[in-house]
Amino acid sequence: MRTIILSAALMAAAIFTSCSTKKPEYPAAEATPKPLGAVVEIKAPLGLPPVPVPAGNPPTAETIALGRKLFYDKRISVDATISCASCHDPKFGFADAKQFSDGVGGKKGGRNAPTVINSAYSTLQFWDGRAPSLEKQAEGPMGNPVEMAHNAPDVEKKLSADPVYRAEFDKAFGPGPITYEKASMAMASFERTVLSGNSPFDRYLYGGDKKALSAGAIRGLAVFRDAKKGNCAVCHSVGEKDALFTDNKFHNLGAGMDAKGELTDLGRFAVTNQEADRGAFRTSMLRDIAQTAPYMHDGSLKTLKDVVDFYVGGGNSNPNRDKEIKSLDHLTKQERADLVTFLESLTGELPSNVGPVQ
Amino acid sequence: MRTGALITVARKNRAAKGSAARLSLITICVLAALAAAGCSGEKKTETAASKPEEKAAPAVTKIDPATAATVTGKVKLDGKRPAKKSINMSEEAECRRLHKGAVYEESVVAGADGGLAYAFVYVKSGLEGKTFEAAKEPVKIDQRGCTFQPRVLGIRVGQTLSVSNSDPVSHNIHPMPKDNREWNQQQPPQAPGLEREFARPEVMIPVKCNVHAWMRSYIGVVDHPYFAVTGEQGVFELKGLPPGEYTIEAWQEKYGTLEQKVTLAASASQAIEFKFKGE
Repeated sequence: MRTIILSAALMAAAIFTSCSTKKPEYPAAEATPKPLGAVVEIKAPLGLPPVPVPAGNPPTAETIALGRKLFYDKRISVDATISCASCHDPKFGFADAKQFSDGVGGKKGGRNAPTVINSAYSTLQFWDGRAPSLEKQAEGPMGNPVEMAHNAPDVEKKLSADPVYRAEFDKAFGPGPITYEKASMAMASFERTVLSGNSPFDRYLYGGDKKALSAGAIRGLAVFRDAKKGNCAVCHSVGEKDALFTDNKFHNLGAGMDAKGELTDLGRFAVTNQEADRGAFRTSMLRDIAQTAPYMHDGSLKTLKDVVDFYVGGGNSNPNRDKEIKSLDHLTKQERADLVTFLESLTGELPSNVGPVQ
Repeated sequence: MRTGALITVARKNRAAKGSAARLSLITICVLAALAAAGCSGEKKTETAASKPEEKAAPAVTKIDPATAATVTGKVKLDGKRPAKKSINMSEEAECRRLHKGAVYEESVVAGADGGLAYAFVYVKSGLEGKTFEAAKEPVKIDQRGCTFQPRVLGIRVGQTLSVSNSDPVSHNIHPMPKDNREWNQQQPPQAPGLEREFARPEVMIPVKCNVHAWMRSYIGVVDHPYFAVTGEQGVFELKGLPPGEYTIEAWQEKYGTLEQKVTLAASASQAIEFKFKGE
């Protein structure tokens, strides 16, 4: 009996070990950090629902300010060359104008940098949804070898060497060591403030301003919503009171095929192992989309016209193509152009205090 | 094996309840099982994508060049040529800009003496049971000037079709076969080329572009090398045929198909003519 107990215990230990090697290293657990200051309300602009905030990380002025500073700080990359903003640049709608972003040492990622804008509303983060929260998302790029290539202890050491950061972390979370977790929490709180709404579209549909949209954009909106025309809103949701332009789900459009017609990136499948997720990626939110070219998870489409043409063509065939993806060749030239005009009307207003700290 | 051992242990424990040590054993087992389940996802290999084993290729039929025969001929339009129709590319300004004058639809292209271009002529029957050396060079189709170039092409089963887009606009090529797998794929401007093939003979597969309704092409897929697409004069040549009896078919997109039987003696060169009736 004892042998059995022992072998079962060893087996369990072995299995745990083999699992744990795959996970990123976290600092030795102390008590979960908690923001210290008064909780602030992040006000959603016209067209966006209330901002969801996790119970364990309510936003405070201090964490938001700290997160903003960290977001633009290159020291969090291993060789101090890259900050979050290098690939999520406010100049390009908090995304990157390149097809694939540059990591440290000229390394390239394999997917197009998604925008930070309105990511507060994403129920799962990254193109494949592998992070359950912005907090967990923020940890990813810091440790990713083709992005910032840093490890938690070194990030902590580097930040701790700066007395200003020490004071700011203390103010935000109370006295204690600077940890990767606190840094991620602060960045997540900052990112929750990077909201874009009150666009011409929002003012037209939710603000009662019938002149906010051009005639072409109004026609484009109708094509976008009409199930018999563009049927775009079947995934890029538009609600009664607000519009996230996403169903927060994962779909296979066939984007990202090699020459032989095989998917080059399995997307959500790599996370879930579910056959239905093969080649599926998170539905993008579309706001400020005119500023975030190139498009799709592989950055393969340079213009919004190419994107509309992609859907007109019915995406690329593959065994897992989403059933909602059908050729839109019934759309007239005018309707296709109107869709582009409509997408351009989704450029909204960002808060004034989300840029680099001056 | 591992799961089996764990179950045995767990079962033994269920028989004797109570002891704290045993409870902890159960906990360990459950944890181990959970951990194993958590890990297993990463270890799964993609079985769905694995391909069936390829069959050994049958021996290639030897053709003696000393006795090989040739069929030459012409595909003609008998009767009135339909009036030229220009393509309306106003739906896509970028496409129209690629052309100085009018672009004419190519469903019937006939020369002065009635020779019909873009007819697909091939050996329809008579080659059964023979196997031919695989074609090595790809067959090319380009999306250029918002048309498919060429309009009509022939290809062997399993031969590579390489698809390019030379235009400043997106195209989405969409072959619409009956006997082969249907597919479509977008190529935005400057997109890399595609390489596809067809698994079964099929004459003809219509091809459209899902973005530009006027674009058309036709692909003839055959399992032997005896096919041709007529040029401007309607002329074709099928050479290197082993002596024998054959049915030759000519396909034309507007007028349909015509066929003729030929009996080829050793080293023969036989001329035939196909006459499609115009309106």
